[in-house]
Amino acid sequence: MSHSLNEIAAHAKRAARGAGLSWGMAEEAARAIRWLASHDLVGPVLLADVLAQNDGRPYAQVAPVSLEGEWHAPKGDLCPLAVGTTLNDCADQLAEGPSIKAVNVSCPLLVLPFAAWAAVHLKEPVRLSYDTVQIETDGNGIWINDPHREINTHTAKSLTCQRTSKRTDAAQLPSLRGAVTPEVWARLDVFAQRTFAPATEASRQLGAGAGASDND
Amino acid sequence: MQLQKVTSQTIAKRDPAQVMRLSRLGSFHQSRLSFMRILTRRMVRESWTFSRPIFEFDDKGVGHAVYCAHTPKRTYSLIVFGHDLPPEQRSDRVIAQAWDSTFTLFDGVPDTSDIERLRRNIPLQEAGRVSEKELSVSRANRSVRLWDHVVTCLAAGVQPDRDEIDKVGYLMRTTAVYGSGKLGAADHEMIADRAECAAPFQIEMLSVFLTRTYVRDLVQHMASLKGGPTAVTLDASIARSLGIGNSTGLGMAPFLINHPMLINNWIAAREQAIAVVRNLPTASQAEAEMFRGLLERSLISADIWRSTHPMQVEKLKKLRHDLSELADHVAQMDLQIPRPWDQLFRWSEGNLGEDAQECLASLMLEPYGSLVDHLADQMSDHNAEAFRIDGTMRVAQLRAVLESVYGWALNIDWSQQNHCARAWYVSAEKLEPRLGERFEEPIAPYEQPLAPGRDAATLYYALSDIDKDTSLAAFLLTHPQHRHSVRRAQIVAQAPYAEIRDNTIGSDLMPIDMLRCKLSFFGATHFDPRSDRWVRICMFGNAPYPEELSPAQDDDWTYPPTQRNGA
Repeated sequence: MSHSLNEIAAHAKRAARGAGLSWGMAEEAARAIRWLASHDLVGPVLLADVLAQNDGRPYAQVAPVSLEGEWHAPKGDLCPLAVGTTLNDCADQLAEGPSIKAVNVSCPLLVLPFAAWAAVHLKEPVRLSYDTVQIETDGNGIWINDPHREINTHTAKSLTCQRTSKRTDAAQLPSLRGAVTPEVWARLDVFAQRTFAPATEASRQLGAGAGASDND
Repeated sequence: MQLQKVTSQTIAKRDPAQVMRLSRLGSFHQSRLSFMRILTRRMVRESWTFSRPIFEFDDKGVGHAVYCAHTPKRTYSLIVFGHDLPPEQRSDRVIAQAWDSTFTLFDGVPDTSDIERLRRNIPLQEAGRVSEKELSVSRANRSVRLWDHVVTCLAAGVQPDRDEIDKVGYLMRTTAVYGSGKLGAADHEMIADRAECAAPFQIEMLSVFLTRTYVRDLVQHMASLKGGPTAVTLDASIARSLGIGNSTGLGMAPFLINHPMLINNWIAAREQAIAVVRNLPTASQAEAEMFRGLLERSLISADIWRSTHPMQVEKLKKLRHDLSELADHVAQMDLQIPRPWDQLFRWSEGNLGEDAQECLASLMLEPYGSLVDHLADQMSDHNAEAFRIDGTMRVAQLRAVLESVYGWALNIDWSQQNHCARAWYVSAEKLEPRLGERFEEPIAPYEQPLAPGRDAATLYYALSDIDKDTSLAAFLLTHPQHRHSVRRAQIVAQAPYAEIRDNTIGSDLMPIDMLRCKLSFFGATHFDPRSDRWVRICMFGNAPYPEELSPAQDDDWTYPPTQRNGA
């Protein structure tokens, strides 16, 4: 189904929040999913997968233990949204040369929008690599090299982000609509519904301040 | 020497700590930079033309119409569906499911298949679905009392009673105008590069402008069908005074908090305009005359502004009194002195309430379109990068920002129940934003992040245990719950009007203050609170209709004329 990008972002934000991410993380997850959808990449699907996988787990269990060395979770896989936000927070490190590496990252494609924003900040393209996948981006366009169709993999043993040189060949550019299947929309909606207070007669009367008559 | 020294100092924009308080934001008035006026100025400047290719309604108002606005480059069409709504279903609440009229603004000229597709969706509003060809979706209900009065009078061959008209001010009120991607419509980004869409909310304003014409046409059509040869045409000056009502509830309040950079740009543009005028060394005779004339018309506007809400009644009494004081003062004041507007404004700060001060601030801009109208170009938000958190910032720097911007919040004891008595939440019912009592209802788990002051204070106290040289990237890795507050603090550090510097969850919060701030930027007048959390307003009252737009037209239609026919 064709959706506006704002609809996709709003739904993703509610779903991320409903799954327990902080508001700030949910805001960035929303923009990330919007960005992926505009590139016709399966952001909404992977978000639903990651939220289900990490549902109920404390952030500390799925976030990098430290900014030093290769990023890793205390145990198990890193959440790609934790990797992504932290990567963007640390984007200036990339300007100084070394790459940022993370090990055992689930749904690594979800890190791509954050790498793109790092590129915008640095005003230089960056390359995100995992498994045999290499994606370069200048923040807006993307160049995908995915010889073994692993772009949507559910876990990458290792993920690297580094500066790269400018490309002159044509990039894949974003569009202004996104497609999300009703099934994926419904999976996200399960999480989104957790953010809505059940309607009660009291809240119906008071919560929006019915007050004086509105029919005159 | 002393005077020279004072007057040679440039007057800066007002301090955000003064401007961004809820009581002041809740006293804002429309100005040259209001979105309706930006739109009508463009229509005149670019000689837009208008047409009505379809208008088919029965005597109950059931049918459809298409109204087209032709810009030099393209056409926008308002597609209207009229319904026969049983009275018991007429409600302005978001949770309503049927309306008197439903609308969409279409990008281009719709063909028959577009209209058929939209006929199956637009009357359903939130339960329907639109495409990227549609730019907005909206609905309106009649003011039954005034509608019946006007139809009955015109059908019987007489003009409606002027007092009845003034009591309401509109024949229909919109209860929601959805734009920017809602319900599947085009995202704003799809049209953002068009000159006519560059200023904020231009599509929504165009939709309401065309809706007003439809309402005038429909009331005339129904009166003519009812009265046959006896019916008369609605007096042009009465028609002109009618605007479109709008009922606005809590949904608008979170917008101000959720779009900090955008709100900064709106307020910064108006503050810049005020500063430009305060810095003018002199005022010409003509400029002074124009100001005096519009002040007189502002008094009329305040006079016909009706509300039964106790707080607004008091506010209006004070505003009318203060505007009279202002008029008396201006009558005696010589505007040919150095920096006349600054002197006048300083006088108002010492002698008038906030409502009249803000009215004066807007009025002072009127003679100076050539100096301030271009600021409209700065009111949109193109700074996507401001969203990005600078993780290299150190804890000590963030503390300093918090102390400077959120000092007011650090002085509040947030453990006191009255300071955090309320919580904003979203109801499962049509996703309506609501405000509840935190200590009386089980809503805290659903709280929306709409208390930036409390959250900034919480962040500040969390930082007290952290080494001052720690980077925010490291801090946020272990404190993700503060991420939204860190982002806001970094935005406000570069955009000083981005944050409401007041408590948005206190027991004494009046959400209508937030609504009025936003609606004043739309260009609304005659705010009529119906409770502490929803308000009725009038849009495009006294505005020219499409056929009345002309280059000779002064851009002062928001002020009612001094001579009012039919009174």
